Amino acid sequence: MGRLVEHPILNVKVSGAAEHMVFYFEDQPIFALPSDTIASALIASGIDIFGFTEHEHARGFFCAIGKCSSCLVEVDGVPNVRACITPVREGISVRRQIGRGKPKW
Amino acid sequence: MVNEGPTEKKHVKALVIGAGPAGLCGAIAIAESIGDGKQILVVDEGIVPGGQLPKQTHKFFGHEGFYASVRGFEIGEKLVSKATDLGVQFSMQTTVAGIYEDSIVTYDRNNNSVDEYTADYLLIATGASERFLVFRNNTLPGVYGAGAVQTLMNQYKVMPGESFLIVGAGNIGLIVAYQLLQAGANVKAIVEASSKIGGYMVHANKIMRLGVPIMLNHTIVSALGEERVQGAIVARVDEHFKPIPGTEKEFVVDTICLAVGLQPSVELVAQTGAEIKYISELGGYVPIRDENMKTTADNVYIAGDLSGIEEASTAMIEGYIAGYNIAQKITGQDLSEKISTMKDELIEFRKGPFASKVREGLKKMNILFPSGGYRERTQQSTGPNGKLRAVIECPQAIPCNPCETSCPTGAINVGKNINSIPYVDYDKCIGCGVCVMKCPGLAIFLLQEKEDYSIVGIPYEFLPIPENGTIVKLFDKDGRYVADGQIDKVSVNRKEKTHLVFLRVPKGMENIVRHFDLAINSEEYVCRCEEVSRQDVEKVIDSGITDYEEIRRILRIGMGPCGGKTCRNVVLQIIAEKTKIPISESKLGAFRPPVIPLPIDAIVKSRKGVDKDE
Repeated sequence: MGRLVEHPILNVKVSGAAEHMVFYFEDQPIFALPSDTIASALIASGIDIFGFTEHEHARGFFCAIGKCSSCLVEVDGVPNVRACITPVREGISVRRQIGRGKPKW
Repeated sequence: MVNEGPTEKKHVKALVIGAGPAGLCGAIAIAESIGDGKQILVVDEGIVPGGQLPKQTHKFFGHEGFYASVRGFEIGEKLVSKATDLGVQFSMQTTVAGIYEDSIVTYDRNNNSVDEYTADYLLIATGASERFLVFRNNTLPGVYGAGAVQTLMNQYKVMPGESFLIVGAGNIGLIVAYQLLQAGANVKAIVEASSKIGGYMVHANKIMRLGVPIMLNHTIVSALGEERVQGAIVARVDEHFKPIPGTEKEFVVDTICLAVGLQPSVELVAQTGAEIKYISELGGYVPIRDENMKTTADNVYIAGDLSGIEEASTAMIEGYIAGYNIAQKITGQDLSEKISTMKDELIEFRKGPFASKVREGLKKMNILFPSGGYRERTQQSTGPNGKLRAVIECPQAIPCNPCETSCPTGAINVGKNINSIPYVDYDKCIGCGVCVMKCPGLAIFLLQEKEDYSIVGIPYEFLPIPENGTIVKLFDKDGRYVADGQIDKVSVNRKEKTHLVFLRVPKGMENIVRHFDLAINSEEYVCRCEEVSRQDVEKVIDSGITDYEEIRRILRIGMGPCGGKTCRNVVLQIIAEKTKIPISESKLGAFRPPVIPLPIDAIVKSRKGVDKDE
């Protein structure tokens, strides 16, 4: 797991460290690129367990295009956010969702 | 607070759901016909428009009119800028949450807001989702849809793992395997439950020559691991696709990639009241529609994978057909000429053997597509000896002709029916290699027999780009090592990134060698500590030195931290092999103390007379 450093077809060069941003996953700082989704930033950091079912089974993501809902996480306390199609934002706090998550009313 | 009443509905002339190839081409067709893109809104859940195109790094088949030989992500960029230039409006990160009798409700994730729309016409191009497969532990993190791996790797440039097992040898499984290899991953195998490769043979050949086994009649029975994938068990299947006990094999992989097909995303079109029918040849439940892509619901059109699982070229054409029909109704002008041009394109793309399922499926809606009319025989001749020339290894009738259209001397014939298998006129072929770099299937090679060796030119899309003169290992079409060779020269194609590498191969192997590997990465090490290879040892022995002690002094073998515990026996074995003198009769060499590295201060401290507290 990690970012591509070279590729025969794609341009994988990242311009400047200044463009990095930081968010938090389970209180741990995670470095991300502005082009990242929450899912791509986590997997680039070696994290592929995004949550647990109510029966305590680990879940990662499956489809990456917002269809399967396997990658649901809690962002700033809001559950059921699809990590695969949600861009990262500076400073957000992401947590593993357990089961359906606790809705914030 | 006073209730402000229902939110005001926004109105558009055409609402397009889905910004993939079908939706984009539909929007383009409407916009260019009505001359006002602002009346068209494209809504899509994704972050960037293009649907699944931004993750396609391979070149598309087809013909120039539909971007053949252009890489998928570049096609996406072209279509998006075409639509944007026409003024088409986009609402990205927006999901159509529901289609009601009086309005269409959208949810904008970015603004966390809900809007209501009405539209004169709907073009639904919601595409498809990946089929899931049922096996033990199939929900473990590390089990991904093939498209998900493509998205991560090619769009976000992040690798989900290092070693992969791919389930399914259709075009998607084959393409993903190739793209994983390009990204430097290890693909252990592709398992395919049926008895034949479902995808194009040219796609299969690309990975077989790279040494990836395609295991037919095999399926995955279990993912292994506690919290994430650490391996997979595969087994042979019987004629009913049931695993045969006792045939299990275990693969150590960290990622399992499911490429077992797609299913149309029908939920929104169903909400319009359009009739849905199960047609297995089209991928499952699909909307009933006519040849103009109109569903049974008024003013509701569809295009792309939603109307039947196929591929991006036909999705684009269907998008145009739906779009021109909508535009014709909006403007009242006669667009029948454009529509029938597109219908003819569709007929062309669906004449071949790989479209038989789609033809069968559409027949169930009383939409008939003709088949055949193309050359099915492959060319037997590989041309005159000694001349630098192209050989085309494209054994199946697939709708594709960039080899013909790119050839500067008109030496390649596909013909009007683009499904025909190409033929080379060797009187006209000048061996320029343009077709080799253009062929989306990487299925064209250059050959030339010389006095002492032969030249094989192969298309190459990997890193690093080899240096002239480098010694390389040569592989056949099944990825078997056949001989050593040398890089003769490399034509670097910086723009399109398919390079042409000319190899010097042993005479008689010009029709065998189809891949090479830079030998530098495959050293066989004897001594781990000092990184001494078998080749190094053999070279010293060949120079006449056969004594272990002597070899040690020359190569530092056995002088690293392990003190020879690992390498001594291996070196003695190599000496025995080379000299034919049994190990028992050769000199073992001395075992010098200390047998492990000792810290100097430990020795100093233990010296007699030294105060240990000092």
